[in-house]
Amino acid sequence: MLITADMKMADLIHLDFQLLAVIQRIGIPLGFREKTIDEVCKENNVNTDFFLQISNSFHDKDFFPKERFFEFKAEWLVNFLRRTHQCILEHKIPEIELKIEGLVEDLKATTRNYELIKNFFTEYIRELKIHMELEDNKVFPYVVELDKSLEANKKTPKFEESFSDYNIQKYLEDHNDIEEKVFDLKNILIKYLPPPMDNCKYNSLLFEIFRLEKDLSDHAKLEDKVLIPKVKLMEREIKNL
Amino acid sequence: MVRIIIADPSYLVRKGLSTILNELKCVTQISEVSTPDEISDAIISEMPNMMIINTSLSSIPEVDSLIKKQGTELNIISIFNSPLPNNSSEKLISILDGKSVLLNKLRNQVKNVQQSTQQQENSEELSDREKEVLQKVALGKTNKEVANELFISTHTVISHRKNITRKLGIKTVSGLTVYAILNQIIGMDDIS
Repeated sequence: MLITADMKMADLIHLDFQLLAVIQRIGIPLGFREKTIDEVCKENNVNTDFFLQISNSFHDKDFFPKERFFEFKAEWLVNFLRRTHQCILEHKIPEIELKIEGLVEDLKATTRNYELIKNFFTEYIRELKIHMELEDNKVFPYVVELDKSLEANKKTPKFEESFSDYNIQKYLEDHNDIEEKVFDLKNILIKYLPPPMDNCKYNSLLFEIFRLEKDLSDHAKLEDKVLIPKVKLMEREIKNL
Repeated sequence: MVRIIIADPSYLVRKGLSTILNELKCVTQISEVSTPDEISDAIISEMPNMMIINTSLSSIPEVDSLIKKQGTELNIISIFNSPLPNNSSEKLISILDGKSVLLNKLRNQVKNVQQSTQQQENSEELSDREKEVLQKVALGKTNKEVANELFISTHTVISHRKNITRKLGIKTVSGLTVYAILNQIIGMDDIS
């Protein structure tokens, strides 16, 4: 179903509760009463069209208006991606970590297996943090300054100072895949770890991992298909300044 | 399970083919792509057995060489935007074909692929050679080191690794290490 501006915001969540994440990451608090999407967006200084395109593409994977996304301010997209990082690092990862730690009782007989899984995930968290910190501290500020420079029609002092010799290609060169390990962890848990005593705990860990995987792949799609091509276009423009 | 990629620039054609494939009632995983970049991404991430691809895409040189690189493991069915003669091969379909023609051709093709993948999946166990490769990879050795120690070419090592990943569903070296320890292919003490 196509999500439109005159729908009630509360109905949107009933339609697809996964969109709660989008609403939060775009910076809209709950408590909608009977207000429409358009009203809620305006109240929170969110561009309604941006909200609609993002929620439609998260709701329906076939719906991906790449060209429309290019028209929006880079900063909106950056803020959205930043909040996604925050949500993943501060909530999702610790939740999974706790659930893995919860398995220690069940895997007591085989401490080795527990250690294996725990270490595997700890290593993954380290990689994920490095990856996201690079984006938060370097790539996103670069994109925002690039955007400001284009708007002002001249390179801002901060751009000259911090990013004069940076470009998105540099980022792409040391950009590693952060989804593969999640895929592996899933298969190790489903196929190769000896069956646990408490299936409920184990399943809820798996649910979280599946969710994380989906979240990361949606996130990567926005970065790879929208942010990076958009930055490349912007870099071409700034050369002409 | 038969994994299929539908590669066509047209959303309508992709959806139509998906719908028809879903009527075939054999377990399939379908992913839809529309550009050369998406095709190469999907080949890596989905590990497809079959690709149904529009000739407007497969005629692009880089896509063509990508397909050739997959060898016989990837079954290709071509979609034409023009009509085909009545007795055309089962590996060719036209967007003008009717339901019965499409259903027949696709059913036969999917069935063939299904039979061969089932044989493959039954031999899910790693071969002795694959276990040797896995053991060395799990210890953190590079493809080149593995090749030297086993007196085989790096090309062969890469092809063993591809098969290991396909059979186990594990892509990263640390994932393979965990698997190797769980299955006593290497010991916990072997890694530092």
